Amino acid sequence: MTAVIHEQQAVPQPKQHGKPGGFLRHTNIVTGVVLGLVLALVTYAIGGLLVPWGTENSNFLQVGESALVAATYTAWVIGFMIGIGAFAGPIRWWLGHDLTHADAEYLAGKGQGRGKYWKYTTDHKVVGIQYLVMGLFLLGFGGLLAMWIRTELGVTWAEVFDPNFYNSIIGTHGIVMVIAMIIIAAGPLGNFIMPLMIGARDMAFPRLNALSFWLLFAAVPPLVSNLLLGGMRDGWTAYQPLGTQAPVGMIGYQVCIITFAFSTGIAGVNLFTTIVTMRARGMTWNRVPVFVIGILAAAIMGLVWFPMYQYSQVMALSDFAFESAFFIPQNGGSVWLYENLFWLLGHPEVYVIVIPVTAALMEVMVVFLRKPLFSYKIAVAGFAGVVGISSLVWVHHMYMTGWSPAANYPFMLSTELISIPFGFLVLVMLGTIWRGKVWTRLPMMCVYALLWNKIVGGITGVYLSDVPVDQYMHGGMFVVAHFHFMLMGAGLFGAMGAIAYWFPKMTGRMLNERIGSIGLWLSFFAFQLTFGSMFVAGLQGQPRRVLQFDDAFNVSNWLSTIGAYLIGVGMMIFLYAIITSWRSNVIAPSNPWGAKTLEWQTATPVPLNNFPVLPVVTSDPYDYGVPDPYLAIEKKLSDENQDTKVGAR
Amino acid sequence: MSIVDDRPAAADQPEEPTNRPEVTYRLREWLARPYVRPILTMFVLFCLLVIPIAWLVVFFMNMSGAPASDIMSEIEQTILVFTIVSAPLMSITLTILLYSLFGWGRVTGDEPPMQESPAIRSNAIGSYLWIGATSVLAAFLVIWGLLALANITASSYGSIPANQQPNSTRPIDVNVTGQQWVWTFEYPDQGKITSDVLVVPIDTPIYFNVTSVDVIHSFWVVELGVKIDANPGAITNTGVTPNKLGNFNIRCAELCGLHHAYMETQIQVVTQEQFDSWVREMGGKRTV
Repeated sequence: MTAVIHEQQAVPQPKQHGKPGGFLRHTNIVTGVVLGLVLALVTYAIGGLLVPWGTENSNFLQVGESALVAATYTAWVIGFMIGIGAFAGPIRWWLGHDLTHADAEYLAGKGQGRGKYWKYTTDHKVVGIQYLVMGLFLLGFGGLLAMWIRTELGVTWAEVFDPNFYNSIIGTHGIVMVIAMIIIAAGPLGNFIMPLMIGARDMAFPRLNALSFWLLFAAVPPLVSNLLLGGMRDGWTAYQPLGTQAPVGMIGYQVCIITFAFSTGIAGVNLFTTIVTMRARGMTWNRVPVFVIGILAAAIMGLVWFPMYQYSQVMALSDFAFESAFFIPQNGGSVWLYENLFWLLGHPEVYVIVIPVTAALMEVMVVFLRKPLFSYKIAVAGFAGVVGISSLVWVHHMYMTGWSPAANYPFMLSTELISIPFGFLVLVMLGTIWRGKVWTRLPMMCVYALLWNKIVGGITGVYLSDVPVDQYMHGGMFVVAHFHFMLMGAGLFGAMGAIAYWFPKMTGRMLNERIGSIGLWLSFFAFQLTFGSMFVAGLQGQPRRVLQFDDAFNVSNWLSTIGAYLIGVGMMIFLYAIITSWRSNVIAPSNPWGAKTLEWQTATPVPLNNFPVLPVVTSDPYDYGVPDPYLAIEKKLSDENQDTKVGAR
Repeated sequence: MSIVDDRPAAADQPEEPTNRPEVTYRLREWLARPYVRPILTMFVLFCLLVIPIAWLVVFFMNMSGAPASDIMSEIEQTILVFTIVSAPLMSITLTILLYSLFGWGRVTGDEPPMQESPAIRSNAIGSYLWIGATSVLAAFLVIWGLLALANITASSYGSIPANQQPNSTRPIDVNVTGQQWVWTFEYPDQGKITSDVLVVPIDTPIYFNVTSVDVIHSFWVVELGVKIDANPGAITNTGVTPNKLGNFNIRCAELCGLHHAYMETQIQVVTQEQFDSWVREMGGKRTV
């Protein structure tokens, strides 16, 4: 047998056209915003000439006004994306200008200092930081709206806000927080940490990665601006046909969701492909860190179900702007169709938020307990079970709609069944804590906060999954308290822990844990006060989304408002810890926690191509701990038994 | 690293000799471990906490008035059962979280700890126990819920529960219409009189045909445990048999615009004689 060694042939390199980066050298966030605004204004001006002013439709709205606003918002999104340079890539292909190596390096932000954070940069680490900042901004904005809501509910003797404005801020608070929570863990950690964790050089589709972030960025101004255009005046669910009565601010919500759904879809494809195809050599499915599994689960749910929400908003926008009648019963539409489409995403979305956070804190636990993860396979089964059943439970949001009373029985069954895989995750976390020596650092403290809140949220969730209980609780404050325990108590406190854990890797600085812990614990206990008393209000029978109520609910609402202000203070303290630590000069070592996953094995700050040499994985990353002393005792006992026992039988 | 022997037990063959200590011995050994008894004690104590919590739950639910129908009694009972059944889960979580803070040792400092914890990668008994217990609890709650729902549906829609005598009282139909931001009640069998306060006789089945003329509302009779959405373009049905005299709250439980918070009215449960005279006052008559 002879071996033929082929000569290595020179691969033809694409020709370099101009300086590396080409058109993208000239685009950044400023050109994006300017072009977006210009295109929006031009659209509004031209469209204004075409719209017949002066006639009103049945909702007393100017005919064509809403179509005009919809076109303006769309023009903003398209203009911004052109201005930031999102379409440069496809145009280069048409022109036959393939990317050279230098082009790719420029796109990844090589040698651009801090300017790369304001550009269409493809490096996953840059996108991760962009997501982090965006998430913090949205949390701050949503938190401000929450303070307004609690102020209105705490001032039980007067109306602080105009009811229309109040209805707008409850909806805006809801959707801003939902978007913020979807991106706060899966965005920064999924983009920055996950590729490092699987030993990849970047995401599978770096330019789609940049696209997903900048689409999110383009989606935010329409949402925020809805408050200036009369507000959405509906809950975050934007049930129809109430939505059609709202002023044009409603379109801000709809355009935001449509754009954001593109963003999550693209991010979902990217995360999914990266995890499936780009793991380091030797990282078999048994050796994948559990956080990566969590991101994979979230990506699958987002990919499958986000389109439903997008369709519902496209149809609602069409109803609103063009007087079609998908959801308007007076013209032959169906309100139940909207509710179904909405909740098809609406429920899996909760798991899109909670699953990555839970998985992230599993990574945290093993490091701070110096123990292997308890039952990796049960954890994976739990994620798989939640993903599977999550698509079959949406009707539990519609028990009381009268859509299909007979469907309440199977959906009650499926909803209560999902508590079993969810219980797997709790088992894994409790089993990992079991007999561990706790290294009491801030990320580990968040594990405690998450587990407590999750068990409270989970158990109250089982209450609500039951139709008879829901007949009393539905549309009441009990529901509000329950999902805040899940989304904020588990989601946000968990995300705080995950961000604190990976903070040294992402920023190169150590988080100031003294200040951070004060913020964390203050918000945690204030959180219990706020939403504990909200449970009470719910049991007493207070409906949600009201701004005035019976005197019977006063005490619990006062307590709730006091708690909410304290949460606000606590979160500001935590944010202060993040910002001051980020700007400090305390340089973090590359592996401050002594962790074994791959992202801690590379340098901090992470080099552009992540690893000088791609790692090869030979075991799972949970190889902590010493042999169990009790097992040694048992072994010794059985050895002693050997002589007597075997013979005796 | 399973600590139990998971080879299948062959029934018809003589048992293979094993070196493992007997189960009772191993159980005693486990109980003798220093952390086990404190944990079990804490677990039981936290389980007992369910008694005051359950009392509080019922207390808060009854603050605006005790149940005024069988449906609401059933709902309250279900909530009570759920509270009790969830106690073990709540308790075990709280126990392990609190105990781990001081019980198994704690490490502080900036450097990663040198002392590592026992490498427990799995535990078959623990996992089976947990999965079994949560499944049994979930199954119990599902069955309880399905039966309770069937009961409530029966009392709402008027089919006769198996254990009850047929009710000879003629049911009353009420057409409930939600509009921004008032409720209107029409009595089709009493000469189509309309009212903005719901007046019903005690111990008589009331059937509601609920609809809306503009947006979605939700018809919620708080102390009677009735809730159903009022949808534009559709009629939803529910019903209740009030069993307590008095005035109770009706609220809207679905955001319906500007004055959603004020979309409240009352249900007055009165005696049959009072109801008849009220119907005459309103100018209605029994058409049948």
